[in-house]
Amino acid sequence: MEFEVKREKLVLRAGKQKFEWHIEPRYWRNPLIYVGLLFLLPIVTYFLYPQMLPTIIDANLLAAIAIPLGWMTLGTGRMNFGPQFFIGAGGYAAALCSIHLGWPPAVTLLVAIVTGIIFGLLMSPLAILSGGLYYTLLTLLFPLVFLEVTFIYTDIFKGDTGLFGVAPMINVGSFTLNQLMICLLSLLMMLLYMFIVDKITRSKFSASLAAINDDEEVAAAMGVNVNKMKIISFAIPATMIAVIGWFYAHYYSTFSGITYLPLTFMLKVLMVSMIGGRVQIYGNVVGGYFIAFLELLLGMVVGDYAQVVFPIILLVLLLSLPEGLFGLYRKRRYREYLPTLHVRR
Amino acid sequence: MTEILRVNGVSKHFGGLMAVNDVSFSINQGETLGLMGPNGAGKTTLINLITGKYLTDTGDIQFMGHDITRLAPYKRCKLGISRTYQIPRPFPELTALMSVAVSALYGKDRENQSLEDAATEATHYLEFCGLFSKRNVLGKDLTLFEARGLELARALATTPKLIFVDEVMAGLNPGEAMKAVRLLERAKEEFGVTILWIEHVMAALMKAAQRVVVLHYGKKIAEGPPQEIANDPYVIECYLGSCHA
Ligand SMILES: Nc1ncnc2c1ncn2[C@@H]1O[C@H](COP(=O)(O)OP(=O)(O)O)[C@@H](O)[C@H]1O
Ligand SMILES: [Mg+2]
Repeated sequence: MEFEVKREKLVLRAGKQKFEWHIEPRYWRNPLIYVGLLFLLPIVTYFLYPQMLPTIIDANLLAAIAIPLGWMTLGTGRMNFGPQFFIGAGGYAAALCSIHLGWPPAVTLLVAIVTGIIFGLLMSPLAILSGGLYYTLLTLLFPLVFLEVTFIYTDIFKGDTGLFGVAPMINVGSFTLNQLMICLLSLLMMLLYMFIVDKITRSKFSASLAAINDDEEVAAAMGVNVNKMKIISFAIPATMIAVIGWFYAHYYSTFSGITYLPLTFMLKVLMVSMIGGRVQIYGNVVGGYFIAFLELLLGMVVGDYAQVVFPIILLVLLLSLPEGLFGLYRKRRYREYLPTLHVRR
Repeated sequence: MTEILRVNGVSKHFGGLMAVNDVSFSINQGETLGLMGPNGAGKTTLINLITGKYLTDTGDIQFMGHDITRLAPYKRCKLGISRTYQIPRPFPELTALMSVAVSALYGKDRENQSLEDAATEATHYLEFCGLFSKRNVLGKDLTLFEARGLELARALATTPKLIFVDEVMAGLNPGEAMKAVRLLERAKEEFGVTILWIEHVMAALMKAAQRVVVLHYGKKIAEGPPQEIANDPYVIECYLGSCHA
């Protein structure tokens, strides 16, 4: 392992591998402004209208689910329609350990990670063995089966009432201050995910992912170990999504499968990645905030009808904007300074 | 002359159809071997067997001392086998440069190669194939001729020892076909690759190939220098469609 700082590059050599990261401060201004705004929003909200903090937390978490999902979609060349399965797995693992064993959030985080890795690895052969409609249906089915399981073994999972008494993530005394802390934490987590996936999609790893996304057979003929790449791109994002489950459990201090496992939750996640444009990391942030605030707005304007109106609006958006809102913006303001990697979205 | 590839009694059936039936041949280092046969003779299937898309029903395949009969396709590529496709299959959403960079990165385990290094190397192969000006064009936007060139660049970027070229001339106009043939000849000189060249028209192989193998209904019906093959009455009969192997 050897680390080198060149003029505009960080060079990392590990064994026979070499990675280069460009550090170009002239491109830092806009990202710093956006990140600054994202941090400013909850702080301002805290002082002006603290009731809106949960919406911002929602937005951050939705984006944090959609970002690794984008990586999974790209690297397996298939759209997973059941990422909420991993939210359920991570959330239940964390909640059960917290309630029955009294483990603090830091420890249950490890439990959620291990659970995510195990389920991610166990389910990753799906991406190798099945494709097209079968993959869609199978991934769609898993969370629903899990939901059934929470009702059948209701003495463990409390499928009907939900698990209560999960240790809160943060406790500083005041409810709104807690919310602010959690909000900032969710933002940090989302930014961390964004950073990781952004680095991945700009590394040489991404070349193989994009090739797999385009044509698996040709990728294999050009020397890409397709199965290995698929397993990696399935298991790691699965783990990242499982950690969001951990976050939900400790944020609400309760966890129930019925909140996350049904299709309605998946629909939201799907819309986030559709509005952002598939595998558009920054677009997912836009999508997350858009969906969370749209839901809030609809709840205020049409009340209970939101349940019906929300999916309809989303479907209309989906049909009218196949490239996503963010995709339209990117088309107008196109700027690339590294070898361009286009991927199917 | 050293033998680079040996195919022993290889067969493959699809349902009741024997696409390749007990075919044996070998390729020597540095040679251009022509593989000929009417449409549906099993030429592409034979390539798919050697590159690993399908596994053989019977027989075995030796490549430079390795038994590759059951090896995964990507491992065969890393050993030095590469190919182009009869109907070009460029990565539709990757730029020409990145498609070639994928091969440069993964075609062989190379030390200390970053994405930028691979892109630089890919530039070289693009230039060789006359596609430098198309480096930022998406695969789906290339013309048929350009896509063929890209496929060759991609195949060369894996630094192969043996390349399978599947009907480069099909669908090209005579001028483009000439260019494609010359490109292959130059590739052979510059990169020292061995070529197995599939074509269903005889004329193209007459000049380029040292030896020709003829397939018909999945069976090998003739093998020898091109002149001999061209005058073989049985082969001519098969091409006219009146023989029943
Ligand atoms: N995947 C497949 N499934 C079924 N039949 C196939 C498949 N691939 C090829 N064939 C059949 O095998 C025969 C040989 O095809 P091919 O190798 O493509 O011939 P060619 O010599 O023209 O390249 C054809 O009859 C074709 O229909
Ligand atoms: Mg063919």
